[in-house]
Order: sequence, then C-alpha cells, then structure tokens
Amino acid sequence: MSYAENVEQAISNCRQQTVLMQRCLSQGKLMDALKHTSIMLTELRSPALSPKQYYELYIIIYDSLSILSSYFVECHPKKHHLADLYELVQYAGNILPRLYLMITVGSSYLQSPDAPREEILKDMIEMCKGVQNPIRGLFLRYYLSQRTKPFFETEEPEARRANISLIVANFIEMNKLWVRLQHQGPLREREQRTRERKELKILVGTNLVRLSQIVESDFAMYRDEILPLVLEQVVQCRDVVSQEYLLDVICQVFPDEFHLGTLSELLSTTLKLSPAAPVNEVVLTLVERLNGYIDRQEHPGPEELAKKLESLDISSESQNVFFVFWKFLNQLNEERPDLSLQEFAPVIKGILKLTLRWYPDNLSNVDVLLKFMYEKCKESGQSVPEDYDYLFQELLLSNDLRHDPHFFYQALTECESYQKLLRVQNKGLQQYCVNEILDVITHADLRISSKIELEKILGVCEVMIEAGVEKTSSPLMLDEEDGSDAEKWSLNADQEKLARIAHLCYNKSIEKHTELLVACKDWFQKGDKNAKYLYPALICNIWKLIRKCQLMTKRKPQRREKMGVTIKQLFKLVSRTINELYNTCEGGCLDLLYKLNLQTASLADQLELGDIAYDFFSQAFTIFEESLSDSRTQFQAIVNMAQTLQKTRSLYAESSYDTLITRCTLHGSRLLKKQDQCRAVYTCSHLWWATEISLLGEEEGVTENFFREGKRVLECLQRSLRVADSIMDNVQSCQLMVEILNRCCYYFIHGDENSTHVGTKYINGLIELIKTNLKSLKIEASQGEDSGERFFIGTDGSYIHQSPVNSVSAVYNKPPTSKGANLTSVPIEFFQRTLQYIEDQKDVDERFKAISIGSEF
Amino acid sequence: MLLLALSDAHIPERAIDLPQKFKKLISVPNKIQQVVLLGNCTKSYSFLKFVNQISSNVVVVRGEFDNKTVAREEIPLNTIIKQGDFTIGCCNGYTVVPKSDPLSLLTLARQLDVDIVLWGGTHNVEAYTLEDKFFINPGTCTGAFNPDWPLPDANNESTLDASADKSEPSAHASEAPTDNANDTTAPAQDGNNGQSDEPNKEDEDTDSEIDDFEINGRCIPSFCLLDIQGSTCTLYIYTYVDGEVKVDKVVYNKK
Repeated sequence: MSYAENVEQAISNCRQQTVLMQRCLSQGKLMDALKHTSIMLTELRSPALSPKQYYELYIIIYDSLSILSSYFVECHPKKHHLADLYELVQYAGNILPRLYLMITVGSSYLQSPDAPREEILKDMIEMCKGVQNPIRGLFLRYYLSQRTKPFFETEEPEARRANISLIVANFIEMNKLWVRLQHQGPLREREQRTRERKELKILVGTNLVRLSQIVESDFAMYRDEILPLVLEQVVQCRDVVSQEYLLDVICQVFPDEFHLGTLSELLSTTLKLSPAAPVNEVVLTLVERLNGYIDRQEHPGPEELAKKLESLDISSESQNVFFVFWKFLNQLNEERPDLSLQEFAPVIKGILKLTLRWYPDNLSNVDVLLKFMYEKCKESGQSVPEDYDYLFQELLLSNDLRHDPHFFYQALTECESYQKLLRVQNKGLQQYCVNEILDVITHADLRISSKIELEKILGVCEVMIEAGVEKTSSPLMLDEEDGSDAEKWSLNADQEKLARIAHLCYNKSIEKHTELLVACKDWFQKGDKNAKYLYPALICNIWKLIRKCQLMTKRKPQRREKMGVTIKQLFKLVSRTINELYNTCEGGCLDLLYKLNLQTASLADQLELGDIAYDFFSQAFTIFEESLSDSRTQFQAIVNMAQTLQKTRSLYAESSYDTLITRCTLHGSRLLKKQDQCRAVYTCSHLWWATEISLLGEEEGVTENFFREGKRVLECLQRSLRVADSIMDNVQSCQLMVEILNRCCYYFIHGDENSTHVGTKYINGLIELIKTNLKSLKIEASQGEDSGERFFIGTDGSYIHQSPVNSVSAVYNKPPTSKGANLTSVPIEFFQRTLQYIEDQKDVDERFKAISIGSEF
Repeated sequence: MLLLALSDAHIPERAIDLPQKFKKLISVPNKIQQVVLLGNCTKSYSFLKFVNQISSNVVVVRGEFDNKTVAREEIPLNTIIKQGDFTIGCCNGYTVVPKSDPLSLLTLARQLDVDIVLWGGTHNVEAYTLEDKFFINPGTCTGAFNPDWPLPDANNESTLDASADKSEPSAHASEAPTDNANDTTAPAQDGNNGQSDEPNKEDEDTDSEIDDFEINGRCIPSFCLLDIQGSTCTLYIYTYVDGEVKVDKVVYNKK
C-alpha cells in the first residue's frame, strides 16, 4: 500500500475510502470495510506532511473512524464479538493502520460492560510503543487518549489511581516523542523543528488537562502521585521548549490551592531546568496564579488566608508564601551564578508583585527584595548596561508599588534599599525615576510631616538636586559666567518638580514645620545655582508660617509674646534664605531677590513690625542701587516699590516711612530715561496719598487719619511735568503731559484743593499747556487715510501696535519706524478721551464744572 | 469666541498645580480660542505646556515674578487684544499705583482706549463696571499665597485685627470700591461663607490647625472665561470652594 504525494490528494483519498467503507458497512461486508479503512489509514504514514497537514488529515480520519466505531458497538455481539475483532485487526499488514484499528476496536469494546477493561487499556498503551516516529507516534497516542477519554471517569479511588498511572505513562511517552522530534532532520532545520513542535504542544498538554479532570480536588493524590512523576519527566527531558511549556501548563490547569501546597516542589524544579529555560517566566506564571487565588477569595483577609493555608496540610514554613519564594531566590542565586541581572530583575519584580498582593502591609519584604537586587547590581561590578534600564525602571516604578501614592510614599521613606538601588542605576534612568516619583507624590494630597521622611524623599531625589552642578564647575565655562548679568533662568521642568516638595512639608507645630523647611533648604543648597528655582518655594512657605503665627496670635492674644519671638525668627530665616540665594546665584536673579524683599517687607508691615519691614525695604534698595542695571527693570522695580510702600501702615514711627518714600522718589527721578523719570515721579506722588485698606476697616470719606500730604503730591506732579516738558520728542512729551493730567483728575476726584493742592487752576493750566504743545504736533500729523492701524503708548512707555489683521497687538520698546506708524495721533486721541472723561464727570460731580476744556477738542 | 483669563498661578514657587477640577474643565481641546496669562504664570514648564494645549493663541503680560522673557520673547507689561467689538487691555497691575485702585485702572483703560480691562496680581477674583468699562480680575487660578493685606472676612468682623487702632469699630469694608456712585458693581467674591473662625475657643493646643484658606490670605482658586459675541461679553467666573467648582455669570454689553 502506498500514500498520496500531497495533502490534497491524501484528503480526497480518505474521503473516497470513507465512502467505500460506509457502503461496505451498510452491506454488512465488515472485512471489506476494514480493508478500506486500512487503505485510508495508510495515508497517515506519509512522511511528506507537515505537522499542520498531518493534523488536518488526522481530523478527517478521526471522523471516519468514529463511524466505524459506532458500527462496532451497534453490532456487538449480534454480528460479531469485539474480542474476536480485536484479535482480527492484529493481522493488518502495516503497524500504523493496525494500531489505529486496534484502538478503534478496543475503545468500542470498552463500551460494553463485560469487557476486560484494564487488560485492553494496558495492551493498547503497550502496543503504541511500536510506533517510534515522533509525529506518527504523537498522533497515535493522542488518538488513544481521545478514544479512551470517557472510560477514565470513575469514583473509585483504586481505579482512579490506575487510570492516572495510565495517563501519566502515556504522557511520558508522548513527551519523549515530542522531544525527539527536535532532533530529527538536518541541523539547519532546527528552528523550523522548534516551530513545528510548538504547533504540536497541545497534543502533549492534553494529558495534563485530563489528569487535572480526573484528580478533581484530591490534593494528596496530586501531590504524591501525579506531580512528582510529571516534574521528574520535566526535569529529565532536558528540553527547553518542553520544560517551558509543561511548567506553564501545570501552573494553568491545576487549581491554585494545589500550587500553594506544592510551591516548594515547583520552585525547586525550576532550579533543575536546563540553563536556557526561562526561570522568570515560570515564576511569573506562578505569581499570577497565586495572586489570582487571592482575587478569587471572598474575604482575602490575612486571617482567612492563614486558615486556608493551614487546611492545606503543608509545613508551617511553607505557609508563608513570600518565605518560600525568598528561599527559592537565594537558592537560585547560589546554584545559578550564570544568571544575569537581566534574568534576575523580572524574577524580583514577580516576587515583589506577589508580596504586595499577599502581604500588602509588609514593607520589609519589599525592602529585602530591593536589597537583593541592589547587591546583585553591585556584585556585577560594572555599571548597569543601559539596555537593562527598562528592567530596573519596571522594578523601581512598578505599578504595584506606585498605584497608591500613599503606599509608594511609605515604601520610599521606609525601604532603605530603594534609594540604594536607585543610586546604582544610570544617571538617565535615575532622573527619569525621580521625575516620576515626584509626579506621583506631589499630586496625591500628601504631606511630609517628619524630618526623617523628608530626608528620605530628598535623598531619593538627590540625583536631581545635584543635576547641573558639574556643568558650571567646568573651567571652560568661566568666560561665559562672567560679564553678562542677564538672568540665566530657563524653564526647568525637573527643578520645578523638586521645588514642589517644599509645599508638601507640613507639621502642626510651627517649630517642627520650620525644621522641615530648613532641612529642605540644606538639601536644595547642594543644587548650587539651581537654588533660584527652589528657594522661592521655601520662602513662600516661611511666609505662610508667619501668616499662621499672626492668625494664631489673633485667636489667642495671650500667646502674643511667644509668637512674637517665633515670628522674628521666621523673618530672620527669610532674610538668611534670600541672602543665600544672593550668594549662590551671583546676580542671576537680582530682580527676583528685589521682589522677594519687597513682599517680605509688606508682610512684616502687616504684622506691625515696622523695624523689620524697614530692613527689608532697605535690602531692596541696596539691590536696586548696586545691582539692577537694565533701565526697564529699574523703572518697573521702582514703580513696584511705590506700589508696595503705598500700602504700608507700620512705618510712620520715627519717620521711617518718610525716609523710604523720599528715597524711592529720588531713585525714580534719577532713572536713566527722562520718560521713565517722569512716570516714576508722578507715580510716586501716590506715596503722599494713602488710600483705604479694607481689612483695616479704612474707608474713603470716613477714615480721617490717612497719611496724606497734598503739597508733596503737587510737588511730584510739578516735577514730573517739568521733566515731560523738557523731553525733545514731541509725541512722548505730550503723551506724558496727558498722563499727568489723568493723575490730576485722580486727585481732583479724591478731594478738594485744600487737601490735594491739585485744583482747578492747576488743571486748567495743564490743559492749556497740552493744547499749545499739541498744536505744533498737529502740524506734523499727516492726513493719511485711516488704515485701521492704531498705536498706543503703554504705562511703561512701550509702543502698542494694534492692527486690524491681528487680534493681539504687537508691543515694542522703541518707536516703530514703519511708514504707517503715525504716532502723533497717540497723545492727541488720548487727550481727547481725557477731556471727554472730564466732560462726563461734570454730570456727576459739580466741581468738575470749574474745569474748562475749551471748544477746540 | 471663548477667551480664558488665568492669573497668578505662581507655580512652582507658591502652588503645586491648578485644582484637578479646573484642569478638567478647561482642557477641552478646540473649545477655547485664546488664553490670556495675566502675570506670574510663566515659571512652570508643566503649566505652560498645559496652557498651550488649550490653545496655541496665548497672550502673556508680565507679573512681578515673571522673567523678562519667556520662550525668548520679551513679556510686555501691558497689551491690547481685539475680539468682536471689544478691545481688551491686559495688565498684571503690579505697576498700577495704588494697587488695584479702580480710578487708576480707569486711567489705564483710557490710556489704552479699551472697553475691557483684564488685570491680576491681587489673587482676588472680581468684576465690575465703571464708566461703562468692564473690569475683570480672574484672581489666582491656583489659590496661591498672597502676601498682600488679606481680604476682609465679609461675615466676621472679629477677623479685623484687634490691635489695629486706626480702624473704627463700625467700619465695615464691603462697599463698592469707588466713590463714583453711578456705577454698578458686581464683586464676585464667593467662598467666604462658613469660614468663620472662633477666636475665643480656649482649650486648643498651642499649635492648632489653621485653615490654608486663611493663611493664603483668603484667596480661593479662580479663573474667568469670556464669551465674546459681537457687542456682548458674557463673563463666567469659576471659583473653587470646598472641593467644588462654582460658576457665576455676568453679562456686559458695549454701549
């Protein structure tokens, strides 16, 4: 008998023979039917079929054999006795068809109650040994396993035991065949073999599935009779594909409880695997199963678990799942020195996952694992290769660790080894991890209340704190450092995150809270020039503490004295922090320092600490005088100073206020540009005209003791007018005069001439002056078409260009030179608007009627 | 069109981030056409990134803690935006003297010839009309600490500093911020309710808890959204009080 050349032909042959077989059966010609079956079965001998094709063919043949089988059962024992048939088919010429026929007859015979069950089963399994070709053998045994499936279900323990040993025997043989398949054919087809084997793995795995169905919940039988044999086979076959697959199937098909009970056995088996087998995957599969076990428990509390574990009849040592894994890990470490970090890292991550699920509160387990990893890293001597970064990233930022920010925080502060492990990683990875860590803890509504914890967190962040320090220490950079005092400030996402730590610090006790901030400062100091990104956050928190002291004093006035001392200390701390910032940044952030001083002064003033406020104002002046050089910065700084001083209330004693505002005005009048001088001085006029602060209950028109000196107000306005008048640029000069006119209106509304000294006469004079000046300006004004382009001059003298095509105006510091830029209309229109305002005010305020605006506008 | 006004974020020096609920509200893509940052908003990379995701059309004016430049562009002290029939003047106000004074702001509006003034720097959300012009301060979008004089507690006079002799006992400071009586004011300062403290509580520890709200100077996180359609500007004021977002609406029509 021969077989077809390709699978299509083989299939059509089979179909044909099946039809013939069925016809013979219907005619009662059993021998002929068997003959056709034999021909059909010969196709399975073809060596040309790939495993996939073989499987296809097998399915078709399986179906036709089922027809035959049901005929056998139907006609037994009327037409024939199956015992006779069993003998008969032994005479088939070729072994493969013979065995298939034998199994078909045998399994049919088993269906009748009088059959000698065990003998037949044993015989069939024995006979299968006759086929040693891997693919044919595998399928033949698979056929056996499929046909005999229904006869293994039994309640009787003895029978069950026998069945199990039969299946195990079949499994062992199949696995051997499967392994042998790898070693067939030429060496260069090795990979193809491996691929084909993987396609066939299910045939072998079926046996284990069957075992799990039979053993049901009989743990003792599993532990004593199944697992040892199966594991022995796994170890002995010394085949990577087989070991990996079988251990996976074992983990998947048997119940969780069984694995719990045999954890040590399973894990120690992995130690004996061939070196190339992936230990970590087995461990991970086990971890998944065990964690799944917890998930499936109704009450996965520690007590219920302990009870469950006790009921499993295992040694008390093995009841601590983590301990079993930990022991395994150490064994692994001893017995497999060849394993690399790359292979260890996933194992550790797996065990970490396990302990976090089983013992969520036990941080020492976490620590011990990280420590193990840390020591492994150190052992390896060199730095960790960058290719492995992702492994450690998965470990250090494992989702199991950080899913709960509070737990993550706890782990960071309590596990000594976290920081150590982080520190032996590559700089890049460290930075990345710290970034992530900061993101988690700063967005979780966390508070750091103990110094120990704070130190731990900052220790973890050390790499980021020190980032950039080396850069500036390079001698080559020195040239760039000197000279330019331009603000060396750039958006720095890392430092920004670091600065946020300052806001996490919190302790009920002001003293302890201060300690936290000081500790923070000490760490931030290591960042050298980065202090400019970090210190402002610290200062803000000290401010907040000061405000807190103030509120507490208000609640309990008897604490005033004690609080007073604390507050003074806090102001000193602010001062020290600002000075340190000044020293480290060497002019990199002067404007910032200036403003920090101003705001601290303002805060001190609110606490009626005039001396302290005065001191901070003086500091600000010093910075202004010594270091602020850019003219625009200077102008804005002096105006900001005026704004701050205007709101102070505690400096009136010892004429401190007078000294400060005079100094401020003087600086204003000495600014580099005349237009800046003019604006600064008219702004400073407000320093002699206090306005209400509603918190203090002050109210315009009610409060009588405002600090107001109209004479000085007028002096300022006059002085600024002189400066405006002396400016050669007609546009600027007129613009400034209109601005002064607007200031005059402000004071005119605020009071009558007796108090403000800004009266009708003065305003009328000013209006006349502006008109005269505008007349000459109007001559310059070109009567161009209205292009829709408009210009304005801002409060700092900048030029704002409003174009009909852009929603947002362009702002220039210098007068725009484009041809459409007709600046002459700027003061003219501003003047018209001001006059219109005065006109409108006449309806509301009688006094305005005395102002004459003339008819020309 | 929708214009978002944010001010005084002070990230990272005074605050960690915007309230999450704010972020969710405003981070709807392609909804807001323009964002105005009214000072002290440019020191955080993450914040600027977030703002840029809302709209690429971002207008910035300088606050006292901003650097001279951001992304290599100089930050102006004041600028003008045109939307619909409105011109809008933007300014942080740290160079407006007296600080936040309505008459000073009115002068600014006149100088720039704008209908609406957007300003910041006070950490205190408010909106009012004066001389037919609309003044809007979106407050601080993070609720950052304010070192200025705290706002008075509208409900509780006892928060007035007992030692401030200058104050008269009957003086109550919740009036309109100007003496020009012909103007309507719509101060939007929610969130002062229920924050009353008990100054006479005796059995407290020396180191007692004090509400962050009080410490920060009675400022709450807030921002404003302007819906501009032709000559109508609808202002939505969002405030964050006790973990909830509140919205108030004010309509302003150009005359």
